[in-house]
Amino acid sequence: MATTRANQIDNITPRFALLSDDQKQRIYLGMIKTLNDTGAHVHHDEARDILEQHGARVVGERVFIPPQLVRRALSTVPPTTTLFNWEGEESCRIEIGRTYFGPGPTPPFFIDPDTLERRKYLRKDAAMVARVCDALPNIGYVDSLGSISDVTNGLADLYEHADQIQNTTKPLMSWAFNVENCRDEHRIGIVLAGGEAEFRQRPNFIHYGEPISPLVSDYHAMSKCVYCATHRIPQVYTPCSIGGATVPASHAGQLVVGLSEAMVGVVVAQLINPGTCVVIGGVQSILDMRQSIYSYGAPELSLLSAALTEMVHFCGLPMFSTSGCTDTKTMEAQSGMEAALSIHAAMLSGATFVHDNGYTESGKTGSIFQTVLDDEIIGMARAIQQGIVVNDESLALEQIKRVGPGGHYLYEDHTLEWARRHWRPTLMDRDSYEDWDRKGRPAMRDRVVKKTRDIIENYEGPAARVPADARKQIDAILAEAEERVRSQSRPKQLQ
Amino acid sequence: MSTSSTCSQISEALIAGRQEELLKHIHSALEQGTEAEQIMNEGLVAAMDAVGQRWKAGDMFLPEVIRSAKAMSGAMEIIRPKLIESNVKTMGTFVIGTVLRDLHDIGKNLVAMMMEGAGFKVVNLGIDLEPQVFVDAVKEHKPDILGMSALLTTTMPQMGEVINALKEAGIRDQVKIIVGGAPVTEEFAQEIGADVYAANAAATVDKVKAMMSAA
Ligand code: B12
Repeated sequence: MATTRANQIDNITPRFALLSDDQKQRIYLGMIKTLNDTGAHVHHDEARDILEQHGARVVGERVFIPPQLVRRALSTVPPTTTLFNWEGEESCRIEIGRTYFGPGPTPPFFIDPDTLERRKYLRKDAAMVARVCDALPNIGYVDSLGSISDVTNGLADLYEHADQIQNTTKPLMSWAFNVENCRDEHRIGIVLAGGEAEFRQRPNFIHYGEPISPLVSDYHAMSKCVYCATHRIPQVYTPCSIGGATVPASHAGQLVVGLSEAMVGVVVAQLINPGTCVVIGGVQSILDMRQSIYSYGAPELSLLSAALTEMVHFCGLPMFSTSGCTDTKTMEAQSGMEAALSIHAAMLSGATFVHDNGYTESGKTGSIFQTVLDDEIIGMARAIQQGIVVNDESLALEQIKRVGPGGHYLYEDHTLEWARRHWRPTLMDRDSYEDWDRKGRPAMRDRVVKKTRDIIENYEGPAARVPADARKQIDAILAEAEERVRSQSRPKQLQ
Repeated sequence: MSTSSTCSQISEALIAGRQEELLKHIHSALEQGTEAEQIMNEGLVAAMDAVGQRWKAGDMFLPEVIRSAKAMSGAMEIIRPKLIESNVKTMGTFVIGTVLRDLHDIGKNLVAMMMEGAGFKVVNLGIDLEPQVFVDAVKEHKPDILGMSALLTTTMPQMGEVINALKEAGIRDQVKIIVGGAPVTEEFAQEIGADVYAANAAATVDKVKAMMSAA
């Protein structure tokens, strides 16, 4: 058609707005005032010194951060950061407006893929989880869903990192117990990137660290934050705020504290190395006041996460959010309900990373089956998030006229073209009664188990492509770490 | 005013978590010559049992329960010395802490508060504690029960280290040990030679009480 409409927009992706501008402003000012008046504990001498040099008031371990320091930090956070995989291909862009769903780190237990029973998480699980995530179309980054129990105590993080990075082409999120292990993970990244400078240009993982709610940056969390900032490793610095326990039970109060505790990391990182990538957000949910558990299925998790996403965006930062997790112990209707709601909310709020897809039993048990279920839900949520295209072609007035009253659209070229865009289930049951019966009446749980096992058996992943030389260097780093841990624990045993 | 009505006033104030009122009733009951033991059994323990039941039934929720528990702890500070004076068996002392390199605080604090609510004298040592701190605390406070919390698989073995340190110090037999925290299981508790495992704060109180009455 020769003419176009003025200011035409074909497609608006839906986003919901929870907070008004005034509410955002008040929560933001609450954070500014909290950091200035209440301050935070920073158990790290170097970080405290840097903060003091730049105008923060330091009293013992407590740091009071003035507004101008926060604003300065916010002015140097990068608007976009690119992550790469170990093969050096761009794997994601960390920026407001792009959303990557992934699993979460470190639960102590794991659902065994064969027996479906809860057991400890093993080293072999880390590579398997990476491969399955690699195969799932709606999972945008990789994490472990467990902490490895069958390696030297204190090196679970490093083995996980070494195995996962090789088994995926997607971005990897890694955590570390301490700065030594964080440095070793960095060294593995450098080996695969082909050098320190190459790693800076093409970082192949993002570090995940946690301050302690309420308002404490402990030595380990802060030293890793400082290390990552210094070496330009993109990082997530987010608390697990527990509404009613570590932060106020009122949602606004939780947002103020949750935002403040993460902001300490942003300020330190930006002072150390302006322009280094920091993502904030975290697990935001409530303490269930009957069962005294931190609920991963509560509607408040979705509400708080979406609101915090708006606040973090208000500050100009990318958000690390939460979804696809559940309080259930076995896959049942509740697992799907809780995951669907939180995934939908996270999708509509537009967070950058959305973690914990695959967490069950309130974050105590990882389940790759839950991740596979979540992958389907994320697909559905994305179909909604894509919104509706409204233009001359999609309005289809010509087709409507041609088919007229009483006709049908099944023969139309237009249908061939547009029906392709409809979302197609891979797990949802749309069988006829007869087909469903003939297949042995499979429930969602059965279908998820089958799909997951198919992937585990048949999907290879990129690990075989890792050059032998790089593998050798990684093994050497692991061996050195073993030696370090051995020598650290020796004097203890002697005494 | 009859003693039984005072005990019921004590119970009422405790269930409602009104500490000031509770202490007032206790003082006046004592002035009227009510035995500390009676105040404890008919007023305080009865009320906390009711609180526990209501919590489990879902009629009270955690912040309310904690108010009662805190009030109970205040009440016991007055009652405990009197019980000891008159040679009545008290609920005993409970020492609790989170083990070395573990910074998780909330679950441990909840357990501590619930144990206060059950009438124990509670010493909360804090987080990230060297085994020696537990050993010293056992020597100093002579607790009936030692509780250890670990929320990380990597710090769980520290519980075993503490038990070994207690053995080395020759005081393992002097104290019952209860362990808990997200990754801790019944089997693990047995493996390291702890006496009891509890999955949450409510179960802790039940199990400790059962253990004490069996002893
Ligand atoms: C909140 C939280 C934090 C907060 C703690 C804030 C605080 N002030 O306490 C912060 C952010 C600091 C944190 C840090 C870390 N955490 Co954390 N954390 C949690 C989380 C989400 C909730 C814990 C909680 O408070 N629950 C609510 C309370 C009420 O429950 P609870 O602690 O379980 O306690 C109850 C029972 O366990 C029991 N209990 C507890 N103690 C005791 C003691 C006795 C004697 C008894 C009888 C019973 C008992 O009774 C309690 C009350 O009912 C859990 C996940 C989970 N669902 O448990 C992870 C979790 C424990 N953390 C985990 C990890 C990995 C970490 C970090 C290593 C993360 C990182 N990469 O840096 C750091 C480690 C810091 C350190 N050195 O300790 C993992 C542990 C995994 C593993 N394999 O060990 C978990 C399971 C999360 C996960 N799914 O990966 N964490």
